[in-house]
Amino acid sequence: MTQEREGEVTRSFVSLATALALGADIVELLTRLTTDCAHLLDVASAGLVLGDQRGVLHVMAASSDHARELELFQIQRLEGPCQDCYRSGAPVSAPDLSGSGRWPRFARAAERHGFSSVHAVPMRLRTRTLGALGLFGTRPGRLNAEDLNLAQALADVASVALVQHDTGVDSPSVSLQLQTALNARVVVEQAKGLLAYSGRTSPQAAFQLLRSYAGEHQQQLSTVAGWVVHGDLPARVVLEHASARPERDDEGGSGGEGGPAAARG
Amino acid sequence: MSSRERLRGELAAAVSGAGTALRAADALCHACVQLLDVDGAAISLVHEGATRGTFGSSNALSRRLDAYQFTFGEGPCLDAVQQGRPVLADDLTAAAERRWPAFTASAVDAGVRAVFALPVVVATESIGALDLFRHRSGPLPGETMSGGLQAADLAALPLLDLIAQLGVRAEAGIVEGAEEDPWSELESLERVEIYQATGFLIAQLGPTATSPSEALVRLRARAFSTGQTAAEVAQEVLEHRLRIDPDGSWHHDGDHPAHRNADGDEPGRGGDS
Repeated sequence: MTQEREGEVTRSFVSLATALALGADIVELLTRLTTDCAHLLDVASAGLVLGDQRGVLHVMAASSDHARELELFQIQRLEGPCQDCYRSGAPVSAPDLSGSGRWPRFARAAERHGFSSVHAVPMRLRTRTLGALGLFGTRPGRLNAEDLNLAQALADVASVALVQHDTGVDSPSVSLQLQTALNARVVVEQAKGLLAYSGRTSPQAAFQLLRSYAGEHQQQLSTVAGWVVHGDLPARVVLEHASARPERDDEGGSGGEGGPAAARG
Repeated sequence: MSSRERLRGELAAAVSGAGTALRAADALCHACVQLLDVDGAAISLVHEGATRGTFGSSNALSRRLDAYQFTFGEGPCLDAVQQGRPVLADDLTAAAERRWPAFTASAVDAGVRAVFALPVVVATESIGALDLFRHRSGPLPGETMSGGLQAADLAALPLLDLIAQLGVRAEAGIVEGAEEDPWSELESLERVEIYQATGFLIAQLGPTATSPSEALVRLRARAFSTGQTAAEVAQEVLEHRLRIDPDGSWHHDGDHPAHRNADGDEPGRGGDS
């Protein structure tokens, strides 16, 4: 590992651990984790899928919000490497999708979107598999052992983040915590849609606005999303906050106007 | 086939063969009693406004107990809906059980010792609950709990039908209780584009006037009436080709230049669109 990369890996883990310790929002944390994966590993795109109590996979977070990549994760409810990885609890590797007849629907979608290799590592909690981390490359090829280990370590961080108050693998509380995380993701997507429509912008840009608003007001992302979709925080307030600060989730509060408490009243 | 899969199939069969939403809710409650280790079951709808009450039950006692909660304004079902998580009372006779004095007294009089209320969640919003009753105290076995949670998932479909009939102005052509495969219908509603399109509809209807579940009910009703899938309707909404007016009417409009390309996907990439 080069020194520069080693530094990046360390920074990523420290930042994830800090966010975890500070009780960061699960959607925010896992989105950051997938972005780190795409950046640190030799892959173009990364995403997390999570199984619900019915064993159905849901897209929990992705490094890119492009519809074509989300579709790759959604299709894996039926078939695909993340699905196989989730079922078996073991890593799955497809270094060259073009020759693989294993997942015809998935392979067609992946190729259509310009991906030619895919790897999936399980998110595990002792004997139970919670979901999978999927990594997509635009060139055929295997991930080297170092990258695979790193991917597994990041997937383990995701599992810990999801189940912070583990009271036993089979306890209903694990399922409940997964469900809570999935609900948080849904409400964030709803808020993205609402803001995107109201502000004539893209869902991706709306997501950044929501993140920066939550960050500045030191609120959980899904909490702010819930205010927006239930009409407790006008879309205008979040959008106008944006025109003052175009993008990036700088830390440090601006305080003042537009705080959720003021807006909710 | 694993026992879990068999249970999934049997619960789904109860909902799909029923005909109407009310019968589907009843059938699901009967299936709970037959398949799970419980003595009674009831499904209630707790939606904004006046549409709330008990809609399905396995027998008269379960129906009455469930309905008491609305009379008394307290009970595990109401708490489960409010908190969005299961509310478990495994011994109603315990001295420490003081959460719902009036409801508990009636339940104990009727010979019920334990109640488990599981929220029915749609678009992250609790729209009702499945109540499971037992004549003996003690926690639910893990398998029963897991089966109960699955039944609570399925209960979303008849409740969505009911909301469409009761609350929202009924859109033309809603096919009541016609789910061929309830599990796949539920799964078809769990897609990112549906969540985002729900957000679009909330913006169009007004966030203070519409709840996420109501927006989803409208999207689903639109799909029924046009014969599209919910995902197809969602895509039209996201691409600004279809919008809803606050009065509930749908409009196709391709001519909103301000909205073009708003989904951020560069045209020309991605091949087939």
